[in-house]
Amino acid sequence: MKSAKTLYIGAGLLGALVLAAIFAPLITSFDPTEQDLMNTLLGPTSQHWLGTDPLGRDVFTRLIYGARVDLAIGLLAVVLPYIIGVSLGLLTGWRGGKTDSVIMRVVDTVIAFPFYVLAIALVFIFGPGIKSIIVAITLVGWVAYCRIVRANVLVAKEQDYIHAARLTGLPTSRILRRHMLPNVISQSIVFAMSDIVLSILAIVSLGYLGLGVPIPTAEWGSMIQEGQGYITQQWWLATIPGLMVVYVGFSLSLIGDGLVARLER
Amino acid sequence: MSTPLISVENLSVEIKTDRGLLKAIRGVSFDINAGDSIGIVGESGSGKSITLKAILGLLPNNAHVSAGKIFVEGKDISTLDPKSRRALLSKNTGMIFQDAIAALNPVIKIGEQISEVPRYRLGKSKDESKAIALSLMEKVGITDSESRYSLYPHQLSGGLRQRIAIAIALSGSPKILFCDEPTTALDVTIQAQVLRLLNELRTNSGLGIVFVTHDLAVVNELCDDIRVMYAGRFVESGTVQKTFNEPTHPYTFSLLKAAPDPDQSVHRLFTISGEAPNLTQPVVGCPFAPRCFSVTSQCSESEPELLPIAQSKSACFNSVDHTKWAAEDSKEGARR
Repeated sequence: MKSAKTLYIGAGLLGALVLAAIFAPLITSFDPTEQDLMNTLLGPTSQHWLGTDPLGRDVFTRLIYGARVDLAIGLLAVVLPYIIGVSLGLLTGWRGGKTDSVIMRVVDTVIAFPFYVLAIALVFIFGPGIKSIIVAITLVGWVAYCRIVRANVLVAKEQDYIHAARLTGLPTSRILRRHMLPNVISQSIVFAMSDIVLSILAIVSLGYLGLGVPIPTAEWGSMIQEGQGYITQQWWLATIPGLMVVYVGFSLSLIGDGLVARLER
Repeated sequence: MSTPLISVENLSVEIKTDRGLLKAIRGVSFDINAGDSIGIVGESGSGKSITLKAILGLLPNNAHVSAGKIFVEGKDISTLDPKSRRALLSKNTGMIFQDAIAALNPVIKIGEQISEVPRYRLGKSKDESKAIALSLMEKVGITDSESRYSLYPHQLSGGLRQRIAIAIALSGSPKILFCDEPTTALDVTIQAQVLRLLNELRTNSGLGIVFVTHDLAVVNELCDDIRVMYAGRFVESGTVQKTFNEPTHPYTFSLLKAAPDPDQSVHRLFTISGEAPNLTQPVVGCPFAPRCFSVTSQCSESEPELLPIAQSKSACFNSVDHTKWAAEDSKEGARR
């Protein structure tokens, strides 16, 4: 029961943010990129709930519009590596032999690089922008899923129910899809929850480094970067987008914990 | 004589272990035909399960067939590509496992598991497949099949699970059913039900059965023929009736003697002293010699072959004279 609670609280917190992002135009009447140079660096007022930034843009508005960008990219940057990693993990674990050697050597190579070094290098190569962030995170991120699923496949492969399915002469595609997959993905789903946090963090970090979503699009990483010069006076400019990342991370890890308890029996 | 459905010739299997290469099976030959019922008995580690796995191509990664051939419908399966080998095997064979819950996929409804083969291998329509699955469920004695069709394995009792496993094994209408101790994990009354079911399938549908077990009573109940396995070889082969009444190999004799007899009260059950040999070491002489009660000098020199004696076959230099053994045995019993 406790796991159900954790799951629901996490889903509730995240859901609230997602709804806010989707219905952003209804919640705020400001435009996230509209400058108001007469009202820069305001503190919280009844009009500007979280004040304005150095260019007079409403911080609250930028925050929830930023959620659109960060959550969407974060999700996409997990879904793509997830699909690739799970498929390759399934294949490499099942086939074994040469296929396994080749794929696992590639995995080892990718893992040998620190995550950010590789991601930043790839973004440099592809040039800044949403597409290249997603491509870079996908190229780096699939290996974790591949490993997790492969390990589970190696165990499941020797289970009697897989033996039984093979013996009855079912097509391999059917065995992999219907018999193997549901029994080997639960761990990777749980990992994906924490991975979304990592990938959001990566997007924010890349944004902070100026390699992310091009300005002036509202995005938490660039907001932190822009706010950092004013940290002693207008501390909320850099702090609140940072707290948003913590908020998302917290709700996703609640979801993850709830899923662990539910899926791993 | 026509070619046997499955023919195993001089099969040997080696397993790579931490302690070295383990010769799990050392030259096993036998034929299986539709309608046969063969019981393979032996101690744990004698190689009986590995024999089944080798035939069905389920050997774990660290094991391989090191010698010998397996023919299915007269075709040497080692010459076939994996796909046609699997097709040939699955057309002719089915298998049920010791632990039915492990042999059923925990996340798929039982009905779907039974209807899969008709649907995805035999290419029947969805409704036809379901009808086939329902009739299979009835065939293996599951009442109320329609409502049980959409249950998950964990919602069933042990006996029902094994029945479902049998239904799945039968879904491709195989001619031979390989059974790897399918009743060991069940309690005695359920055991009897499953054995009765297998017996019915055999007599009514002419299903061939290869039954691996260490339970001699089960073999007596279900099988016509018996192969006694020891240290990766058959040491005795014959009809169940003949072998149980007049064992020719000292090991078989000891095994039968070790089985409790409900009609006789004994102070202590007979045990075969010693352990089965370590098969990572080369076998010199008869592997059973250290535990045998009728050893001669010849036994430690070379390993006896499985040769015909009376109506059976026995791998023993002194194969026997069960009357003499029984006489000695009773004398010894009187002394105690």
